[in-house]
Amino acid sequence: MTTADMTASRTSWKRRERRTTAGLLSAPMLWLALFFVAPVLYVAAYSIGAIKLFPTDAGVISFEDWNHFLRGGSVYMGLFWKSIRISLTVSVVVVVLAYPIGYFLALCVRKMKYVLLLVVIVPFLTSFLLRVLAWKVILGDRGVVNSLLFSLHVRSPDDPVSWLLYSQFAVMLVLAYVWVPFVALPIFVSLDNLDRSLLEASSDLGAGRWRTFWRVTLPLSAPGVVAAFVFVFIPTIGEFVTPLLVGGPSGYLFGNAIQDLFTRGTDWQSGSVLAMFLLIVVAGLMALFGRFVQVRSVATD
Amino acid sequence: MEIATSRPGRLSLTIFFWLLVAFLYVPIAFLALFSFNDGDPSFPLSGFTTHWYGDVFANRVLMSSLGRSASVATASSLIGVTLGVLMSFALLRRRFFGKPAVSALVFSPLVIPYLVFGISLLLLFALVDKLLADWFGVYIGLGLHAIVIGHVVVTLPYTILTILPLLERLSISLEEAAKDLGANPQETFRRVTLPLLTPALVSAFLIAFTLSFDEYAIASFLAGSEQTWPVYLFAQLRVPSLLPQLIAVSSVVFIASMLLILSAEIGRRIAERRYGREFSAQGLASSR
Amino acid sequence: MTDMDHFLARRLNRRGFMRMAGVTTVGAAVLAACKKAENVGGTATATGAGAHPPIAEEPGKLQVLDWSGYGNGDYYPDKERLGLWQQYADETGDTPQFTLFANDDAAFTKAATGSVKFDVVHPCGYKYKDWVDLGAVQPWDTSLIPNFPALNPKLEQSGIVDGKQYFIPLDWGFIAPIVNLDHVDVKEETFGILFDDRYEGKISWVDTSNMMYIGGLFLGVTDPFNMTDEELTEVRDFLISKKHLVKFLWNQSYDFWLSFKKEEVWIGYAWPDTVGYADAEGMNYLYMEPKEGRVSWVCGMGLAADTSNYRHSHAYVDSWASTKAAEFLLAWYYYGHTNTKADLSVVSPGVVAALGLDDPTVLDPPRAIPESFIPRRDLYQQYWSEVLAS
Repeated sequence: MTTADMTASRTSWKRRERRTTAGLLSAPMLWLALFFVAPVLYVAAYSIGAIKLFPTDAGVISFEDWNHFLRGGSVYMGLFWKSIRISLTVSVVVVVLAYPIGYFLALCVRKMKYVLLLVVIVPFLTSFLLRVLAWKVILGDRGVVNSLLFSLHVRSPDDPVSWLLYSQFAVMLVLAYVWVPFVALPIFVSLDNLDRSLLEASSDLGAGRWRTFWRVTLPLSAPGVVAAFVFVFIPTIGEFVTPLLVGGPSGYLFGNAIQDLFTRGTDWQSGSVLAMFLLIVVAGLMALFGRFVQVRSVATD
Repeated sequence: MEIATSRPGRLSLTIFFWLLVAFLYVPIAFLALFSFNDGDPSFPLSGFTTHWYGDVFANRVLMSSLGRSASVATASSLIGVTLGVLMSFALLRRRFFGKPAVSALVFSPLVIPYLVFGISLLLLFALVDKLLADWFGVYIGLGLHAIVIGHVVVTLPYTILTILPLLERLSISLEEAAKDLGANPQETFRRVTLPLLTPALVSAFLIAFTLSFDEYAIASFLAGSEQTWPVYLFAQLRVPSLLPQLIAVSSVVFIASMLLILSAEIGRRIAERRYGREFSAQGLASSR
Repeated sequence: MTDMDHFLARRLNRRGFMRMAGVTTVGAAVLAACKKAENVGGTATATGAGAHPPIAEEPGKLQVLDWSGYGNGDYYPDKERLGLWQQYADETGDTPQFTLFANDDAAFTKAATGSVKFDVVHPCGYKYKDWVDLGAVQPWDTSLIPNFPALNPKLEQSGIVDGKQYFIPLDWGFIAPIVNLDHVDVKEETFGILFDDRYEGKISWVDTSNMMYIGGLFLGVTDPFNMTDEELTEVRDFLISKKHLVKFLWNQSYDFWLSFKKEEVWIGYAWPDTVGYADAEGMNYLYMEPKEGRVSWVCGMGLAADTSNYRHSHAYVDSWASTKAAEFLLAWYYYGHTNTKADLSVVSPGVVAALGLDDPTVLDPPRAIPESFIPRRDLYQQYWSEVLAS
């Protein structure tokens, strides 16, 4: 090939490359535009009344619902804070439980590291509903825990421990159970990537193990901890399935309110306001903590 | 690792680890235990039986919901993997305007609450159904197709996350080498790239399949008259009459999904290690 | 020389893709327009049997929107079929497809949003007007229902809205508290037992906005089904204050029964099926006749306005209106049925007497208050959501 030929083919290659880029992107982007972006925009439009469920209603754009919700007139705001409180508790507990797991696997185990990690993670990848079912069986008034207590004569069958199920406790327990396996991963990854020589240096400089942990290991693993926290906090704010199954009347959360508004009544505008609010909160949290969550580095190892 | 822990420290960490693992698996073990219990799921046990497993197969509603979930999961995984391959190529091998934004868009289904997403699709379909009915007299409604559409969106990030790393490791010089040796693009794709990508494709398919099979929130809004397995399971969880049957199925589904995930993971690692070794740029250079 | 990109360009060229998409869209539009023309031609006014095509020309696969346990086999897999729609299956050779709803509000929402297509729907009396106003249902042609004359005329009148027989009332029953007398000390028969502080954690309410009018009934408002804003606020606050007494809110009656049977709860908002089960189980129960009066409900079948299974739907209702269906409902759910020729011996005389199954006047005041149309249903729902959210 002459130089001229090569240059010519290179330019035409670049032109074709641009076309094929469009070709590669078109299908996925079209799918996402139609079935992800458009629906979300649609919910936003619903929330301000730009679209109504029954066309007979006046299509007046009003921020009335948003106003009412945000200015404290609505009971749903209180429900939102209740959900935040529960999510926060669950997230903290989960991270505290998962950190030693990550630490153990990254820094104390040599050969079986990844196998043991898989052992921890695999339950997360199995059916969520079934795991909740398992806890319903364990926590009920006639469930495993209580029947054990009856047979040991600690409690009588007339007086079971009833706050185990259909309570906020049950919701938090089940959520923690579900999320601990998943959260161990980012913590493990950040600890695994720790530069061992730093630990050695710290020890050489005379720091004891605890001091090394507090001043070196923990700060360096902070990104992983934050990522882990975000991974569990964000999905649990909108949680509605677990409360529905084990929450009882006091375990009713923000997600449940959203679901009820869409399936029980025809007031979809209020529902849309709450749904958009949730989305904005989640997006805001992601924007805030996004730098700690490098999706690719966490998922691969 | 003496620097990281002391001997008692290591011991307590080990104990904690295994306690937590026990905590994770004990409820699952209870389910398996009760699936053989001849009575209600509570202590004391009533006697060994396998008839719940037999009842499961006789339960046509249950079986058909499992079948529907399998079809939905297969369809959405196939589409998800296809779109994932396209997107991975675009992200990795192409430069284009707005790449960070596109990247963010593609991965954002990871953080959207499925509740909100399911509702948004419900609204979209309500609109589309209304338009179709008014303009064309055609009615589609909700149903399995709607669930497939939703699942493709949420599994897309996972498929990309599975395919991208392997694609990254496949040196582009491989494709150029094939080209130099006279292979046309179809051949290159078919005989070089695709076979090398296969482990990631299979892995991505399995992960997407598992995700879709078990997905409840989105399916609950879009199911229509045909229940998928999670929707059926959820409805039954509130009516404990069939509990033992569900427990029996759950054990089977658990083990199946665990095996699927394990094999996906192991396969992916083997592939990465093998191809990473043989086809890294250095390897190629040294083999010449 | 061609290269990888040229290959991709040929396969995935954007213009080509758009062209293809355009062709398919136009093609689909053309096909759909043809279909609409057919539909427009085929949809006749819903009067006179002559306007409807013979049954053989209907598509079949009847879509039934109904409660769980009313034919889809959730509770009594074979009995539901044999009792309720075997006659239909034998006559038409068709198998109905069921879409289920948890309560009337959920059913109405599904239909209102167009997210479910149905031929026949089974709401309860207080919702009839909502359905008619929505335009989702059309009147029945009772001449196509051979069993119609056997149905209680007075109850059938309750299915007339705006002068037309939009609904065929079929099943009826009560809402009243049921209590476990082994554990509960009943001083007075009243709905107030659902709000009794002595039994914290042993009470179950229903998970619908019906609790609003129950609360109103107990607090003695003038019209529980049409409360003023002040009354609604009062009821809401009252329910919020009593919510801590409730162990769980039930969505399915059978769910409540299982809990009642295990004595996890001793008091509950209950339908007659719970009575039958408790009776069969030999429990020491009381299905109250509260001083406020029981609330009575009558539910019926509605016909979709845009159904293409006109004759199939009538055959389905006829199957439901038969004595066989009546006896199934009586024997297994202890619900009343509007068919006056049903054989009541399928139910134990004790239950018949307790529920007044042989006497539909038991549905009237003062013994019972019929569940009526609630004009401000959305508002009730909103206040109930606030009770749940607090």
